[in-house]
This record gives sequence, C-alpha cells and structure tokens, in this order.
Amino acid sequence: MPRLHAYLLGLLLWLTLPGCVDPFEPDVISSPPSYLVVSGFINLSGPTTIRLSRTQGVANTAAPAVEAKATVTIRDEAGTSYTLTEQTPGTYTSAALSLNPARKYQVRLRTAAGRDYASALVTPKPAPPIDKITWAVENRGVQLYLSTHDASNVTRYYRWTYTETWEFHSAYRSGLQYVNGRMEPRTEDIFQCWGTAGSITIELNSTARLNQDVVANYPLILLPPSSVKLRFKYSVLVRQYAQTPEEYAYWEQLKSNTESVGGLFDPVPTQLTGNVQCLTDASEPVIGYVGAGSVTEKRIFIASTELPLTQRYETGYNCAAPDTVPLPSVPAVFSSPAVLPLYTVYAPMSNTIVGYSSASTECTDCRRRGTNVRPDFWQ
Amino acid sequence: MNYIYRFTLLIGLSILGFGSYGQTPEPVVSGSFQGLSLEQFVRQLEAQTPYRFFFDSAAVVGVQITAQAQAQPLSLVLQQALAASELRFAIDEEHNVFITPRQAVPTELPTDYFRPGAVAAARAAENTPAASPPVRAANVARLYEIGRPGAATAGKATLAGHVREAKSGEPVPGASVYVEAPAVGVSTDQFGYYALTLPAGRYTLNIRGIGIKNTRRQVQLHADGKLDVEVEEDITNLKEVVIEAEKDKNVAGMQMGLEKLDIKSIRQVPTAFGETDILRVVLTLPGVKSIGEGSTGLSVRGGATDQNLILFNDATVYNPSHLFGFFSAFNPDVLKTVELYKSGIPARFGGRLSSVLDIATRDGNKKKLSGSGGIGALTSRLTLEGPIIKDKSSFLIGARASYSDWLLRLLSNQELRQSSAGFYDLSAHLSHELNDKNTLYATGYLSQDRFRLASDTSYAYQNRSGSLKWKHIFGNKLYGVLTGTYTNYEYQIASEGNAVTSSELTFGIRQLGAQADFSYFHNAKHTLDFGASTLRYRVQPGKLVPRGGESLVATDELAREQAQESALYVSDKIEVTPRLAVVLGLRYSFYQALGPREVNQYLAGAPRTPSTITDTLRYGAGTSLATYHGPEYRASVKYAVSDNSSVKASYNRTRQYISQLSNTTSLSPTDTWKLSDAYVRPQVGDQVALGYYRNFRHNTIETSVEAYYKRMRDFVDYKSGAKLLLNHHLETDLINAQGKAYGVEFSIRKATGKINGWLNYTYSRSWVRANAGSAAEQINRGEYYPSNFDKPHDVTLAGNYRFSRRFSTSLNFNYSTGRPITLPLARYYVDDVARVFYSDRNAYRVPDYYRVDFAMNIEGGHQAKKLAHSSWTVAIYNLTGRRNPYSVYFRSQGGQIKGYQLSIFGQPIPTVTYNFKF
Repeated sequence: MPRLHAYLLGLLLWLTLPGCVDPFEPDVISSPPSYLVVSGFINLSGPTTIRLSRTQGVANTAAPAVEAKATVTIRDEAGTSYTLTEQTPGTYTSAALSLNPARKYQVRLRTAAGRDYASALVTPKPAPPIDKITWAVENRGVQLYLSTHDASNVTRYYRWTYTETWEFHSAYRSGLQYVNGRMEPRTEDIFQCWGTAGSITIELNSTARLNQDVVANYPLILLPPSSVKLRFKYSVLVRQYAQTPEEYAYWEQLKSNTESVGGLFDPVPTQLTGNVQCLTDASEPVIGYVGAGSVTEKRIFIASTELPLTQRYETGYNCAAPDTVPLPSVPAVFSSPAVLPLYTVYAPMSNTIVGYSSASTECTDCRRRGTNVRPDFWQ
Repeated sequence: MNYIYRFTLLIGLSILGFGSYGQTPEPVVSGSFQGLSLEQFVRQLEAQTPYRFFFDSAAVVGVQITAQAQAQPLSLVLQQALAASELRFAIDEEHNVFITPRQAVPTELPTDYFRPGAVAAARAAENTPAASPPVRAANVARLYEIGRPGAATAGKATLAGHVREAKSGEPVPGASVYVEAPAVGVSTDQFGYYALTLPAGRYTLNIRGIGIKNTRRQVQLHADGKLDVEVEEDITNLKEVVIEAEKDKNVAGMQMGLEKLDIKSIRQVPTAFGETDILRVVLTLPGVKSIGEGSTGLSVRGGATDQNLILFNDATVYNPSHLFGFFSAFNPDVLKTVELYKSGIPARFGGRLSSVLDIATRDGNKKKLSGSGGIGALTSRLTLEGPIIKDKSSFLIGARASYSDWLLRLLSNQELRQSSAGFYDLSAHLSHELNDKNTLYATGYLSQDRFRLASDTSYAYQNRSGSLKWKHIFGNKLYGVLTGTYTNYEYQIASEGNAVTSSELTFGIRQLGAQADFSYFHNAKHTLDFGASTLRYRVQPGKLVPRGGESLVATDELAREQAQESALYVSDKIEVTPRLAVVLGLRYSFYQALGPREVNQYLAGAPRTPSTITDTLRYGAGTSLATYHGPEYRASVKYAVSDNSSVKASYNRTRQYISQLSNTTSLSPTDTWKLSDAYVRPQVGDQVALGYYRNFRHNTIETSVEAYYKRMRDFVDYKSGAKLLLNHHLETDLINAQGKAYGVEFSIRKATGKINGWLNYTYSRSWVRANAGSAAEQINRGEYYPSNFDKPHDVTLAGNYRFSRRFSTSLNFNYSTGRPITLPLARYYVDDVARVFYSDRNAYRVPDYYRVDFAMNIEGGHQAKKLAHSSWTVAIYNLTGRRNPYSVYFRSQGGQIKGYQLSIFGQPIPTVTYNFKF
C-alpha cells in the first residue's frame, strides 16, 4: 500500500506540471522598419528635453540610432514658438521656460532629410505634489508605496518615473595602484561607489473611478530581500506627472503591449503609435506621445540600519579568492588592466615583500558598476 | 365510442370465455339475401335462430350482403355472405356471433393472456383505426396490421410512432426507419418519433440506429395508423462505434454540414485528465477549430467563438466551459446526442451566425432505477435515473464536481499553491407521458465555477438554465412542441488586495424564451416544419461596487440593456423524385432594443469618441431605440447520384443580434455580451456549401467532400486598445467589421470493424476587414487580414482498434497550421527603456500545432445481467510531449526584448478513469 501511495503521488506531480514557458525566437524579421521615435514632454516650468531616435530590429542590441541635426520647436496654439537646441546628437533641449498653463502646446520638428512632423496640440496638466513615499518590510521584500492627492479632484491620471541610487562596495578593497611600473599607495577610492538605475516599468494609476482624487499607497517599487541596493543605503527620487486621459490611455497601452502580454487573459498586443504625425506623408508611422505639464519630485532614503537584521544581501559579486602575485611576475601581471593589486604580501614573521595579492578589476574597481563620486544629495 | 365498445366487448368475452358450458347443434337458415345491409341481414338471421349478433356498426357501414341459403348451417351461410367483404365472424358456445373486420375475434382468451407482452399482441390483432392507441410492436415474426382495409385515401397511408429502447423506455432519436421497396425512409426526431407515408400494402420496416440492434417489423398497412417499436440496446457496443447514427445517412440524409456524435463515440476520444469532454470531441470534427488547447471556444468554418448557438435541451448556454475553458461544462453521463450544424442550418434554429450545437440529454430509464458514474483525476460524477411511473415518466439527475484544490496544494509554485479552483455542474431531466398524445419534459441545468488567484483576485461564474417542453401529437401527420426556456449567466470578479481599492465587478445576462414548433407530414412528398419563437434579453453589462468599509471605489454601473427577438419560420421538405429532394425554408427574425436607455449622439461624420458626443437621448421603458429585422433564407438540395453516392448543396442566411466582447486571444470568463443597439448592428452571415458523399463497402466506409464560402457582415471588432469593461460609451471603441471564410473539408469515416474512426483534412481560410471610418479606426489600413481562427491546414485522426470485445485502444492525431499572431517588428527607446513596435494585426503565425493522444479502454465482463458494469480508461494526452505554443508573447526585461511561448500541456499527461454503470 505505501508503495502504491508513493506511485500515485508521483503520477500526480507529473501531471500537474503542465504549463511551461520556452524562449520563442521567430526568424528574424529581415528588414526592420526605421520609424521616427519622439520621446519627451513639454515642461511648463523648466527646460524641455525631446529625444529623437529611430526604431531598430528586435534582435539588434546596439544603442538606438539617434536622429541628429533636426530642428525642433515647441509651439502653442497662439503660434508662439520656442526653439530647442541639440545638446548631444538626438537630444534637443530648450531653455528653462515658464509656459502659460492655459494654452495648448505641441512639438514641431523637421528632420535633416527635410520631413516635417508635429505632435497634436495638448492641454497641459500640472502635477500636484507627492504626499509621501513610505516603505514596509514584507515577505516578498521591501515594498515602497506612494501616496498623493489632488484636493481639487482634477488630476485623476498619474504617471511616475523614478531614479534609484544606492551605495555599494566592490568585493575587494585595493590599497595599491601600479602606475608606470611602480607599486604605490592608491590615491582614489575605488571601493565605495554609488549605483544608479532608472525605472524600467511604466508606473501608472488613475483615480477616475474613486470618489476622491486620492492615490493611497500605490505599490511603486519592490526590492527583493536580498537586493544589493539595500546593503548600505538606498535612495530613490520619484517624479510625478499628471496626464490627460488620452495620454494615460497611451501609456497604459504601451505598458500592456510590452509588460503584460502573454498571460492567458491578457489582451492581444496592438500596433501603437501615439500623437505625432508626419506632415509630409500622413501614412508614415511615427512613434511617441508628447504630453505637456509639470513635474513634482520627492526623494527618500533607506539605510540598512533601519532594516531587520535578518536581511541577507547578495553583493552581486561572484569572485575568486585573491591570488598572490610573486615579485618577478608583478610587471607582467599588473600591466594588464584586468587585474588590480590589493595589498602587500610579506614573508612570514618578516618585513620582506614576497609579492602582492591581486584580484580581477571587475571585483575590485567599483566604478565598473557605478560611480565613486559621492552624489551631492547623498546624506 | 369505438374504443368503449371494444373494451366492453373484451370484458364480455372474458366473462363468457370462463362461463361457457354445453354444446348444441348449429341451426340452419334459409333465404335469399340480396343487397342487404349487415344490420338487415343480421335481423333476419336473429329471427330464424336463437343466436345473438354483435358488431361495431361503424365498422360495417356500406357493407352489402348477397347470399342464397337453402336450410344450410349458420356458419356456412355467414361464410358465404361475408366472403366478399373484409368481415370475419366468430361463434362462441353461448350462441353469440361476433362480426369484426378482417380478423375473427378469438372466443377464448389466449393461454398467455396475463403475460404483459401478449396484451400488446392481442391489441395489435384487433382492428386498429387511425384514432386508436398505438400498437406496441415487439415481435419480429408477427405481422402487424395497421388501419382498416380500404380506409386509406388514394391508396396511401401514414404510419407513425415512436422508437423506444426496450430496456429503459428511452426514445431513440436519429434512428432510421425505412422500407426497402419502395425506398422510403426517415430518421426519428429528438423524441424518437417517425412518420412514413406509403402506399397501402405489406412491408418490412427496418429500424437501424446507433447503439441499438438492427430491428425489423412486418407491417400490413391498410390506413393511417400508429406503430411504436421497441428496440433492444446493443449491449456490446464496442462493435457499434459509429459516429453517424444511420449507416447511410451520410449519403441518403437530406442534411449537409451536420455532425452527429453520440456519447459512446465521445467517450472513446482520449482527453487531458481523462475527462470525457464533448467540446473536445467536437473540435476533432472537420471545420471546427479553437484558438488552442485549453480553450473550448469553437470557431466553426472560420466564424467567431460567439457565433455558435449552444443549446442544452433547447436552453441557450452562454459559457459552456469549466476552469476557463479546460473542460466543457456538460456531464457526459446525462447526454444522449450532440449535433453540430455547420451549414444548411434548419429554419427552426436562429440567432447565431456560424453553427448550432444541439446537445440533448437522455430521458432517463422508464423501466428501472439505474445509475452510472466515474472517478477521475480531477472530477467525479454520478448519475441516477429511473421511472417515477413505470413506462410513463422518468427522471434523470447527474452531478459532477471537481476536487482540484488539493492538486494545487501539491505544487511547488507558491502563487499556485495559494490558489484554489473548483467547479461543479448539475443536470436534471424529467419526462412524463400524460397519454399517447401528450408528453411533458422538464430540464434544469446549473454549472458553477470559482477560481481564486493568490494575487487576491477571485473569479466566479454561473450558468443556470432550464426548459419546459410540451409535446402534443395532433394526429398521425401533425405534432407540435411548445417550449419555454430560461437562461441566466453571470460572473463576479472580486479584488481584495488593497483595502482602499477592494471591489467587485459583476456581469449578468438573462434570457427568457418561448417557442412553438410544428411538424406536419403532408404526404410522401411534403414534410412541413413551421413555428414561431420569441426571446427576451436582459443584460447587466457591468457593475463595479466597493468591498469593505475602507474601500474608496466608487460604484460604477452601466445601464441595463433589454431587447426582444422574435422569429417566424416555415420550411418544406420536398421529395421531387426518389433521387432529388429539396428543403426550402424561410425564417423571418425581428429585433428591438428596448428602453429605458440613454443613447449618446455623436457628431455626424466624425469618428465616435467621447469628445464628439453632442447629445444624449433618453428612451423610456419599453420604447424601441433600434429595430432590425430581416429574412433568413434556408435552402438545401440533395441529388442521389446512385445508391451509395449523392451531391448536396445548401445556402443559408443567419442573423445574430447579440455579440460577445472579447479582447483576449482565448475566451475568458471576463468576456461580456453586448446586445445590438443603435450603434452595434446585428451580424448577418451568408453561406453556400456544396458537398459530394460516397459510401463504400456496404456503407461501412463513408467519404465526403464539402466546400463552403461564407460572408459575414457587421461583426464586432475593436479599435486598437479598446476598453471593453465598464465603458459608458462602448460604441466609441467598437467597429463593425466584415469577414469572409472559405474552405474544403475532406472526411473518411469507418464506422464498424476492428479498426474504426475518422480522418479529416480541412483547408480553410478566414479573413476580417475593418475599413469603415477614419484611418485611426481602421485595422491594417482597412485591408483583409487573417482572423484569429485562420489555420489553413488541419488534419485530425481519431482512430480506434478493437482487440476484443473487452479491450480496445484509441489514438488521436492532430495537426494544424499555427494560428496568426501579431509579432513585434522593431524596438525603440522611450525614457531609456526598450519598447516594441508590433506588426500589422495577425501578420505572422505561431509554430504549427501537433499532438498525439493514446487511450486504452478496458471493459468489464459483458454479461447483460451483471449487477454493475464497469470500465477503466487509461489515457496519455500529448504522448510525444510536444510543447505546442498556446500563447506567444514578448516582454521587455532589463532593457532586453525576449520572446516566450507558453505551452499549457507541455508533457505527456497520463490519467486513469474508472467508470461504472448499474
């Protein structure tokens, strides 16, 4: 009987593993289209940045092809225009402007190839301030929540982006540097660094169905319990945008198109373009939605000392133990940029230098994963 | 009157029979009787003898007696006098003379009079005018005389009656009842009723059908009469694993594009988790497709999943699936037949564009209490049936429940472990024969599903339906059925994660209907069907309510919708020549969307968006806000090229006034139904079909080729990114699209023998075009694009090999072209995150679909008298473990776009099911 029982259980486990996900790589679409992509928004108070780029093949992991040498202007419904200048190729920035929120705005541009494009005239939506960003330690990790409200009940549609910054240390501390054939004390700290990352998912919420324009504890960011970001200190700057219903619908669609497709009951992806049109050829697809409004920001910090001691962090480094380089090999080994000296190795019970311990640059130089310049906001 | 007379006669006979004594010599009579009526003749004889005469005066009208007698014995004179007529006489010991038509009354009771079977025989032997109760024929050898000689007009008579199963008393539908010379045959309808019009004469009536023994009856047909035939169940049904009820129906039947399955062949097809599943089996039929496995949304000949009328004993079922479509919601044990009409849809059906799936339950055993059931990996089921009044009324009740929760608990995935899923369904059916002319049927159906995801969302949905039928036989040639139906479907989605946003979304649709259907067998050349129906819809399109005191969710309720759909129809089946038959039908349907409603008015000429609303009109309760009506033509023709081959063609138009709104690839329980209104026009479909049918080897191998072309107008499509739930101006997100579909279906079936089963190949295409309105509203620039169901090549094999009567194996093979999908064409960056630009809608395809299933059926002993019959089914679903993509999707992860395919049944799935019957 017990054997039969085990057999039945095994059978059941086998039969209950039905769902499986495999990679799907269709034959690469031979000639990927190169459509103009317009990203950015018209900032009512401050500089406006518009980026122009081109679409590329799905399998192409190269940096996006930018659209340089275009003329870009902001225009209001009365015809007043403000010019944007190209800072780096493909990135166009205006002076710090203070635009009248009662007017409608659009972006007009002409590419180097002489084609004209314009976004639709949009009503600007000023963003209310973020009330608070709170966090809680939960089973799944540290969850950050955002709360905001608009007492006048007009904002209703919100979008957020954020930039995370965290302190981290490399796997090994290097006290030495090998410069011009000489071993000398390290002058620059490459052990303590700050990492930074932007938001990857589209974060949206609407209060249109609520009686009051209140966003209460919107779950914005989830940091897994082992996240390296929480090891020393973590900070996040959240930017809040207010949107028109149309713009919200666009972002919601973009999110569902690329973030929540494929579940059994998710909607089918759709061809999504935006509110920019080619004036020269109306049938040319143009991608991007240019909205208008203002941004509000809020920053918080989370220090590891505020977290329970049970947190176990992953360093993200998977490094071999340091290796001692004997003196004769020093020039050959340390002339390579892939290896860095850590500290001096002496013979036992003496002051005689026998060599230097070493580790890979990847494991030693934290600048490979961030910057060692302390951010000016860092507390 | 007649009846009472004969009854008293019988009583009298029995008394006389027991109390007769003595023997006196027969008296003699003399006289010349010229052209006397029987009454006059008898009066003269009574004057001359002590004998008393008995006869039915109605039966002797018009009889003329001419005889000469010179002191001859009474019996000799009577013999001489009655010789010219059909009358016979009998003389008993009490000096009584009985004159009856055709057959002499037995003056003594038969020795086996008190055995039930013999009563029927005795009754059959009597004179049986048209209005008398039907003869129950159970004897092959005897000759059943129907009607009084010479009573038929123009030498033709109609023989009608029911075919019933001897053991359970269940009607046998779809059995063919035919005579060989002249070749005239019909198939029994859903009540097991048949009517044949033949010239008077002697015939051998053949009854053949699935699961019953081939049966013959000898009939002497004089005039209109009734003959109920009891047939025996073919217990060793392993032999009769046929899909068509009648062996030559394929060729000889009028209907084309009809697929008929009985529960025995349904059981043989291996399925996932060993659940006998009618919709899965329907999916193996030519011309029927689904989006993928794990979905029971049917696409029939390129139509959409909402274009199928699914009837459960005439009541509509809106969601025929359990567990989001993994199982169909019908308990196999209560089912009798499943019929799928793909073309040439009869005029009595309407309301859906593509097909009618007519599911009928059994009536229940009228003779004794019995039951059946099964134990499977996910569900168990039990069915009980039996007589309430023997031979008159019966009940059938079946229940099925799942216990999948404990399976989920065993999973390693925490989210799934915290989920729960369960379903059950109940079916109950009552039938009661009030008398020979009136029968009542009642059916109730309930199915309930609930599914709770760990992510704090719970889904639940329910189907409730019922039907009440009254069948009345007006006469041999006319019968009618009055049906009332009720259907209710609703779902609830509760979200309880955050106390502030806890809410519940509900949807419901209710449908009340009444219909009257009549069949009139005018003569051998004309059979008329006509009737009327009306349906009242009530839809609650969506309602969001807060849950819990902390919830800030505002109640949001869409206005209720109501509508009335009515139809009248008539169709005539005309046998032009023995080879050529035509069915001409017309259905006229009429639809009104009714208030109270508020209807938005939009700026003329501009695309409908919330910003172009100019006004809102309010319609009062019961006022019509939109009216649509139109004819639906139904015509088909059959020409028998030879005895074993025929050509059929059909044309039908269908209209559909209710559409399903679904934005997802598979059918999901969150799909809602939308009634046609001022902006959503009814869908109209036209289909022409042509088929060639040929049978080989004495009808054991059936082959067919059917080609069709279909056009659909005004079916609902969506703008990109349409919002379908809780949308107060839904018309701004919907577009009226057009579709066309065409294809050829090849089919080979072998119904009997050690190897049996079917093999189908279908080539078909299905296209959609949304070219109305502005460029932004058009899809793929207004060009035709492949619909979600466009799978050009499709091969299905359902095979069965019988090693012995107790052991058989089944093999299923499926291949089809991958379904169309929308692929990402290019990537681009917004805010430094890669996003995807998708291709035209449905421009590419997922990999081809391929699956093999295997099953073994082991039957218990075949002793007919055994207390309980049991069987085991061991099945392996997806034998080769192919990972067929159910869904393909792309996700932006860490700035990289990766494609994934999700397969639902990616491994071989073995199951064991135990079935029993008592």
